[in-house]
Amino acid sequence: MKMADGSTILRRNRPGTKSKDFCRWPDEPLEEMDSTLAVQQYIQQMIKRDPSNVELILTMPEAQDEGVWKYEHLRQFCMELNGLAVRLQKQCSPSTCTQMTATDQWIFLCAAHKTPKECPAIDYTRHTLDGAACLLNSNKYFPSRVSIKESSVTKLGSVCRRVYRIFSHAYFHHRRIFDEFEAETYLCHRFTHFVTKYNLMSKENLIVPINEEENAAPGESEA
Amino acid sequence: MGTNSGATAGINNKPVGGAAVLGVGVANSAIGGGVLSNSLGSGGGGGLSISGLGGQNANVGSLVGGMGGAGGGTGNNGSDDSMGGPGGGPNNQQATTPQYTIPGILHFIQHEWSRFELERSQWDVDRAELQARIAMLLGERKCLESLKSDLTRRIKMLEYALRQERAKFYRLKYGTDPPQLNEFKPTSNDDGGIGTDVATDSEVPYSSVSNTTWRQGRQMLRQYLAEIGYTDNIIDVRSNRVRSILGLNNNTDHDGVSGGGVGNVGGGIGSGGENLSPNINGNESNKRASESEGRHTPAKKVQQSNDAIILDTEAAVMANFEFLGPTEMSDDDEISDDLEMVATDNEDTDVKMAKRPKSGKDMLTEEVDGSLGLGELAQLTVNNESDGAYDANAKDGTGGSAGGAGYRKTWNAKYTLRSHFDGVRSLIFHPEEPVLITASEDNTLKLWNLQKTVQAKKSASLDVEPLYTFRAHTGPVLCLGMSSSGETCYSGGLDGNIECWQLPSPNIDPYDCYDPNVHSGTLEGHTDAVWGLTTMQNNIVSCSADGTVKLWSPYTKEPLLRTYTAAEAEGGPSSVDFVRNEVDHIVVAYNSAHCIIYDTETGKQVIKLEASQEMSGNTGKFINKVVSHPTLPITITAHEDRHIRFWDNTSGTLVHSMVAHLEPVTSLAVDAHGLYLLSGSHDCSIRLWNLDNKTCVQEITAHRKKFDESIFDVAFHATKPYIASAGADGLAKVFV
Repeated sequence: MKMADGSTILRRNRPGTKSKDFCRWPDEPLEEMDSTLAVQQYIQQMIKRDPSNVELILTMPEAQDEGVWKYEHLRQFCMELNGLAVRLQKQCSPSTCTQMTATDQWIFLCAAHKTPKECPAIDYTRHTLDGAACLLNSNKYFPSRVSIKESSVTKLGSVCRRVYRIFSHAYFHHRRIFDEFEAETYLCHRFTHFVTKYNLMSKENLIVPINEEENAAPGESEA
Repeated sequence: MGTNSGATAGINNKPVGGAAVLGVGVANSAIGGGVLSNSLGSGGGGGLSISGLGGQNANVGSLVGGMGGAGGGTGNNGSDDSMGGPGGGPNNQQATTPQYTIPGILHFIQHEWSRFELERSQWDVDRAELQARIAMLLGERKCLESLKSDLTRRIKMLEYALRQERAKFYRLKYGTDPPQLNEFKPTSNDDGGIGTDVATDSEVPYSSVSNTTWRQGRQMLRQYLAEIGYTDNIIDVRSNRVRSILGLNNNTDHDGVSGGGVGNVGGGIGSGGENLSPNINGNESNKRASESEGRHTPAKKVQQSNDAIILDTEAAVMANFEFLGPTEMSDDDEISDDLEMVATDNEDTDVKMAKRPKSGKDMLTEEVDGSLGLGELAQLTVNNESDGAYDANAKDGTGGSAGGAGYRKTWNAKYTLRSHFDGVRSLIFHPEEPVLITASEDNTLKLWNLQKTVQAKKSASLDVEPLYTFRAHTGPVLCLGMSSSGETCYSGGLDGNIECWQLPSPNIDPYDCYDPNVHSGTLEGHTDAVWGLTTMQNNIVSCSADGTVKLWSPYTKEPLLRTYTAAEAEGGPSSVDFVRNEVDHIVVAYNSAHCIIYDTETGKQVIKLEASQEMSGNTGKFINKVVSHPTLPITITAHEDRHIRFWDNTSGTLVHSMVAHLEPVTSLAVDAHGLYLLSGSHDCSIRLWNLDNKTCVQEITAHRKKFDESIFDVAFHATKPYIASAGADGLAKVFV
């Protein structure tokens, strides 16, 4: 936010920073980032710059480890999904959404429990996000953020599949919330692109009509 | 004394022949020099004035030794003067009154005779008194002499032991006899200017035997001391007496004991050192050399005549005093020091005495080695002193660390709290349970129970899984507060809201059903990011980027109690805390790098904490965190310029300032007792400080950097031995 005098730019959110200035600092080229969290920094920087430019956000820099790239993106998705969950908490109660459904075709069972359980939608949402947070931060599967084991990369697919159901539930049952949220964050848009690009989910599971909209009339839903 | 003699004169004056006689005795006295009394007769008839009797008391003050005779002399002089009086008296009477009657003359003679008898008896009494006094003083002196010789012998013994040790050390280190050892032996008689007479006695056994001998000797000394009944108390009393006799000020009592006494021993050894290495120490002053010569010669004379092993002899006493004599002339301080040394027989002095010779020898050895410049002895002594002090410190230090191991624990990372997707901005411990809450830029708060851990593979640290995720903020959560009961917690976010939470049970199933009641309220009022939050009893105070500080009473109809706004020049608030030792006061840090203390009741500014001379450059001094000391009126601030500063709340002045980290200090926490301070910085480390001496006790590198940020918060558990840090890398760590 604040630029220090002279040449050095200190990218810090000092206490007292106004929310509009939060993280408002000049972009730092990825190659200049020497942090172990460089990929996260880079992704967040790209999102901050223009959340709607999904393609650019998802363009992997050269010489980037793809496992880490996918992993960091998924972390970012889960993180931003908290925002959707907050909105859903206000509307999606166990009484109205007793089951996790999108279309009537499937009832999703919550995998957070020892035996998968038919949790209400809000619980499913929370449990899935909490479970994803635990898995993605697990010292066992993801001990490092600079290199990811091949065996762990396969875990990303199942996380994607589960968290996508939050989008689909919101889209089919809480459309207003979904639209508001999507207008702000383009999250589902980006997520769909992401899983498609890196082949983390099969196309038939992507039931939220993002791609179609984009293909048919790009920007219409955002308008 | 003057009044005394005057009074005596008054009593002894007898009116003769009805004539009124006024005798005014004016006594001038010189201290230690006997008494001169002049009696002036006035009032026509002339009279008898007898003075000087009382003046004899003054003799008490004269020097030890031989003052009995001097006192007698002055007494006689005084009475001689007054004897002239009565002679003159009758003559005058004869001149004026020619008629005598036999009875009158007889009466006069009778009267005169009885008067003289009376005087004589009085003199006798005085003499007896003085003799008793002399006897007492002599006895006192004798005791002191013997004590002194004991102590000097002890010094010799210690020196010898040290020399042996040094030789042993040298042998161990180099495998050969130390070259200077030969030098020591012959010179050791002269070595140590004090009590050379003692050295003769002890030298024979010393040079040939080992530690056991001198231990025995020491034992003997102790017995001897016990025999003559010298307890420490008596010695103290005696030393005071001696000092008063010699007319020394009592103030040596205060500073002389520790400093002066030691210094003198060093001096003594130092002079010995000169004798030891005159050819090496070429630039020593002649005066000094001759002075030490002078000291030793009389002692040597005594040596020849004195071969008894038991040292308490008159000769030894005299020798000691001869030794003292010249020093007295040259240097007053030295006497007092000597006396201190002689008179004080306790372990402290023992240690010092042992230390001084040691360092003196140190210097000597170094000189022989040629590794040290040859300076003035005084300088050497100073050096020695610092050496000694260093030794003592080192010794104390080791003792302290051994003894204080219980206090000075080393904190080690034990729990790693991973579950946040982005930087953890704040964390707070439950007041009693091993439970904490973290707040993150991923918009969530998480509840952790340190007792519910997952053992991580091949790692000493334990991973903890969060029990509960609090979701309500729509932006990064920046600050946390918890009620003193630990039932409620509050969080402030970039969205400008303060959310209130009822803590779920620490044993909750992480995948339990959603309970909307956990989120028990929102305090709306701030229009920009809430950056600071702190609790006191049922109230919370928050500061926001909207420029205001607000006091809240949550769960009431009108939760917002008051808003505090500073002058625009101060900029926005960055951090806030309740003043812990003063009810109804809050301290707020502003962008201007000032802190302002407000009275929460009146809303008025109580005081502004600002450093007078540092006003010029306040840029970059930005305060990241302000905390109040839990018990003292002290405010501690963490600054962007790497400093931690301490402020006095009452005067508003800067008490202490220190560079604490390599990069901006971001966070502070003081333990519940107010003894330790924990600081976190963007240099990735947390540091634990002893608040007493402001020294860093431990530094732990705890977190990684994200952009230019690293550590956001640190915390102490109020009742359990946990400390914690929260970092931009999305982790929180708990140290035990």
